[in-house]
Amino acid sequence: MTEPLLEVENLSKSFQVRRGFLGGAAGTVHALSDISFSVEAGEAFGLVGESGCGKSTAGRSILRLIEPDAGRVRFKGEDVLAASAAMLRRLRREMQIVFQDPYSSLNPRRTIGQTLAEPMTVHRLGTASEIQAAVRAVLAEVGMPSDAAAKYPHEFSGGQRQRIGIARALVLQPELIVADEPVSALDVSIQAQILVLLRGLQERRKLSFIFISHDLGVVRHVCRKVAVMYLGRIVEKGPVPAIFDEPLHPYTRVLRSASPVPDPKAKVVMAKLEGEIASALAPPSGCHFHPRCPQAMEVCKRVYPGWVQVSKDRGVACHLFPATPAPAAVPP
Amino acid sequence: MSERSADPALVVESLTTEFRIGGTWYPAVRGVGFTLGRNETLALVGESGCGKSITALSIIGLVPKANGRVTSGRVLLDGRDLLALGEREMEKIRGNRISMIFQEPMTSLNPVLTVGFQVAEALRYHTDLSLRAARARALELLEHVKIPSAARRYGDYPHQFSGGMRQRVMIAVALACGPEVLLADEPTTALDVTIQAQVLALLAELKASDGMAMIFITHNLGVVASIADRVAVMYAGDIVELAGVEELFAHPTHPYTEALLRSIPRVDRDALDLKPIPGQVPPITAMPAGCRYADRCPLRIPRCSLEVPPLVPVPGLRGHAARCWVRAGEGSGAEPA
Repeated sequence: MTEPLLEVENLSKSFQVRRGFLGGAAGTVHALSDISFSVEAGEAFGLVGESGCGKSTAGRSILRLIEPDAGRVRFKGEDVLAASAAMLRRLRREMQIVFQDPYSSLNPRRTIGQTLAEPMTVHRLGTASEIQAAVRAVLAEVGMPSDAAAKYPHEFSGGQRQRIGIARALVLQPELIVADEPVSALDVSIQAQILVLLRGLQERRKLSFIFISHDLGVVRHVCRKVAVMYLGRIVEKGPVPAIFDEPLHPYTRVLRSASPVPDPKAKVVMAKLEGEIASALAPPSGCHFHPRCPQAMEVCKRVYPGWVQVSKDRGVACHLFPATPAPAAVPP
Repeated sequence: MSERSADPALVVESLTTEFRIGGTWYPAVRGVGFTLGRNETLALVGESGCGKSITALSIIGLVPKANGRVTSGRVLLDGRDLLALGEREMEKIRGNRISMIFQEPMTSLNPVLTVGFQVAEALRYHTDLSLRAARARALELLEHVKIPSAARRYGDYPHQFSGGMRQRVMIAVALACGPEVLLADEPTTALDVTIQAQVLALLAELKASDGMAMIFITHNLGVVASIADRVAVMYAGDIVELAGVEELFAHPTHPYTEALLRSIPRVDRDALDLKPIPGQVPPITAMPAGCRYADRCPLRIPRCSLEVPPLVPVPGLRGHAARCWVRAGEGSGAEPA
């Protein structure tokens, strides 16, 4: 097996939080605790979870848009976290990001052409005319007319702006794109257009994606593998159809059954899910999910469950799945 | 009594609401009509700008007066036309017999008043309960919407509540006077899915226990499938399809409904069949002459671009209406799927 394009090992990040506007007593939010995963070349990897689970922090820490506290990130064998400024600049040419909100992530005072040309100018990739040609090519690739280059962001709809955001990420010919909720702000019909565009790009350019989303349906459509996060930790990880069709972790099961499906016969099981997502400022002891878990045991209140590899490509962190031997409920 | 309960809770007839853009008035909702039965949930579903929220605001008399106006139609509550009432009379009905909850509960609640006070305020305004009685009733309501340890949290402020809990407070305010009709405008859109499931379960339970009718506005067809009894699909200011929920999902008839269902990435199946709808909704200032979906429709015939199709029963399907020259009405040659 070849080396993965990106390897993330035990990545952690915590934030200091001050209370009140005088900045009094501080607390610590463990936004990311020991998350590990790897992304193969040409693969789309999903990070899924609810608000505050750390999925966006994970995406940004990998690009060092947020400096992580601990862990290792290797991109094509290079240590991203130890990279010098010059090395980091080179690495970022190959690792790009697309944001959720296409309204606030484009500079309103610059034409689309200027916005798309800037990364190439910064990285000194070609003459002015070469850059113009590249801008036109990338606009065409995301399905925008070439006269878009002379226009400003306000002249476009949300879906078109997201296409422009994707074009900006593509213009440097990256190998990996971190897409942070790229379709969450869009209407259903436009969302499907963007998803089809992303899939097309992935197939054509053999791009790798880290696809961050709260929507399981979107992840199922785009990703081959997925990690489910809860309060800063990965609770389950594996191939997409298996995770969503036969979830093992009780949280994944809850998330799956709460996700609405457009079929009245498959009504959302108005799950007897008690309680709310706990505060990351004061996560529950032991397994963070235990206060809401229908199958919580005594040990869950005390000890955070270790990672159990239930099959070659699938793992879970839950006391219901002891390390050995593999339980019968586990699909092959 | 039995005769009364056979009456619909609300009847909306050919409602048209216009907005002024650059000095010209354009209809955002065009001749919308439906009947809402007692203890029924009608979902209004559609994408941004389809007129679903404007329909609700028109019903409850909250269309912004500066640039909006209801130009025609009737909204009948117990036979009385709400559109004919003055603001003073409407205030007695709003929050009392018809209530509304919104997407963002933080902006709908007053940040400097305690949640208990805000529930009690609705009661004090519409009833002659004493302060003490209103407080007791408000506490019951907070318990009714399942706020944990409601008595302790009665004096808390909105910022001390999570999004899901704030929405519960909003629901308590809306239900305070036992309305016959609840308008819910994307009440779970801002919530995480596990919290959304809890709020949907609560609304379904309250509807059953309090016997109210609900108009549930959403863009999410998955949510529609789990909460609605009947569904009205809206597109560019028109209802394009109206049917019972099982009927709608089993036999989507309007090409837009059909396309919308195919454009949802579903968690329960591998979505290789995901098909986006090409193009976009026409802007309100440049609506085409005929069917407003014609430009994006694969079934378009010449007539579609010329005449607006009426909302008529779909041949062979009970209680199912669609606005389509090709698929509904006489001479459409429609074969139900």
